Amino acid sequence: MNLKRYIVYWLKNNSLTLQSLLADRLSSILFIFGKLLRFSFYLGFLFALKLKIKLVTGYNIDQLVVFFLIYNLFDLVGQLFYRGVYWYRADILSGAFDFTLLKPINPLFQVLTSHTDFLDLPQLIIVLACLVIFLPGVSAAEALVFVILSFVSMLLLTAVHIFVAAIGVITTEVDHTIWIFRGLSGMAQVPVDVYSRAVRDFLTFVVPVGIIFTFPAKSLFGLLSVPIITLALFFAFTFYLLSLKFWQYALKKYSSASS
Amino acid sequence: MRKYWTIFKLSWQNSLVYRLNFVMWRVRSVIGFLASYLFWLALTGSNHQIGSYTQTSLLTYIFVAGFLRNLVFSNISYSACAEIASGDLNNFLLKPFSYLKYWFSRDLADKLLNLIFFGGEIILLYLILRPVIVMPLHLLAFLGISLLSGILFFFLSFLVSSFSFWHPEHDGWPLRFLFLMIIDFLSGASIPLDIFPPAIIKVFKIMPFSYLVYYPAQVWLGQAEKEMVGIFLLTGFWLVIFYLLTRLVWRQGLKSYAAYGR
Repeated sequence: MNLKRYIVYWLKNNSLTLQSLLADRLSSILFIFGKLLRFSFYLGFLFALKLKIKLVTGYNIDQLVVFFLIYNLFDLVGQLFYRGVYWYRADILSGAFDFTLLKPINPLFQVLTSHTDFLDLPQLIIVLACLVIFLPGVSAAEALVFVILSFVSMLLLTAVHIFVAAIGVITTEVDHTIWIFRGLSGMAQVPVDVYSRAVRDFLTFVVPVGIIFTFPAKSLFGLLSVPIITLALFFAFTFYLLSLKFWQYALKKYSSASS
Repeated sequence: MRKYWTIFKLSWQNSLVYRLNFVMWRVRSVIGFLASYLFWLALTGSNHQIGSYTQTSLLTYIFVAGFLRNLVFSNISYSACAEIASGDLNNFLLKPFSYLKYWFSRDLADKLLNLIFFGGEIILLYLILRPVIVMPLHLLAFLGISLLSGILFFFLSFLVSSFSFWHPEHDGWPLRFLFLMIIDFLSGASIPLDIFPPAIIKVFKIMPFSYLVYYPAQVWLGQAEKEMVGIFLLTGFWLVIFYLLTRLVWRQGLKSYAAYGR
């Protein structure tokens, strides 16, 4: 793999994306404002909840705020880098995906990174600032575990987007699939521990939003044991490899319809 | 009237042609409902009372909000903004029917289809989840206010679509995105508004959005006995305001319409 070629491709693609966003400033402002409103509404709700209740399944509201911020952190990073998946359905429908396949760049890389959502950056900065304010004292060991689990989260987020892209190739359905994942991941705005055992297991091992969003936040509170961290790493690698296999399978099913 | 009935039927058939698309949409809808239900179930499991809500009344609120999401928010008229933006509106301006009534007919078909599916889903979910639900004291009043809310949403949504006359970029999606963010929260569809402190509730209450889900749900729960007449009057007031505003903006929009993209 020629790394330089990939970096140049990514930079060129995304400088074009940024230029298009800057060219239509009103749209960009409306999008950013909408995203910030959604974030502040939910944060405001958590603060309102603090006036009414003290604990939710053993977590206090300040801890829930940290879980919510970590959820936003990874959700935003996922969207920031992999927004391309939301856009490529038209290529599958029209057969224009042929051109993606012909380029001397991995088609999966093209699909995932064709669009970087710079409109998520303002919210990402706010989330990071809030984390600095709300995060309790974190030890070096907890920080290290957080870094490891951040890697796990990114690996799983990549895998989920690969699965969605592969399903798109096979069924031409992308939008609903990604939004179903977003709907399920929204459940991890609070720690998945608050749900019943069956729901918790589903959100951890089937659609692993628990590992993606809850585990890193739990690591900051020192709530994860070494076996759980090892299991998360093993699970993430397996899930990622499966997604790549599935992508290869999907490519074989691509029929280039309408081209 | 017959032509709008035909549009209603065609729109219904059109929705059923793309079955996978529709099924996926319903899956999304059920997941959204379940996420909300399980969240509040967890919250009320460890706190028996949240504000004025018991577990029973809060879970009833979520069920009723689920129904109202399908009745009030189901719409296909959001496509109008793309038609205006792309210049496809030309095709409709030449035809002998009202564009507003055309979309209203299509929205009715969409609402009915979604409600039918929601009915089946909710019965299934009820049998699985077995929640204790508060039954409405004033069912007719609830249905009446819900219908008014549905019409109010139509005009609100159409007003947002009309923005495409002046800003056709991204098929008019940017303002709609902002609108959806506002509606989801300020209507009370996700969170009962009276969870918030009284000063904030006062601000929410003077906005039209709370009449889409929050107040109809309060009517179901019987928590708005004294305010009932006021709720009907204010919903009617907002409906008239947004109807007039929609007509005004539509006329102004047509004057500046240049059929870009055609």
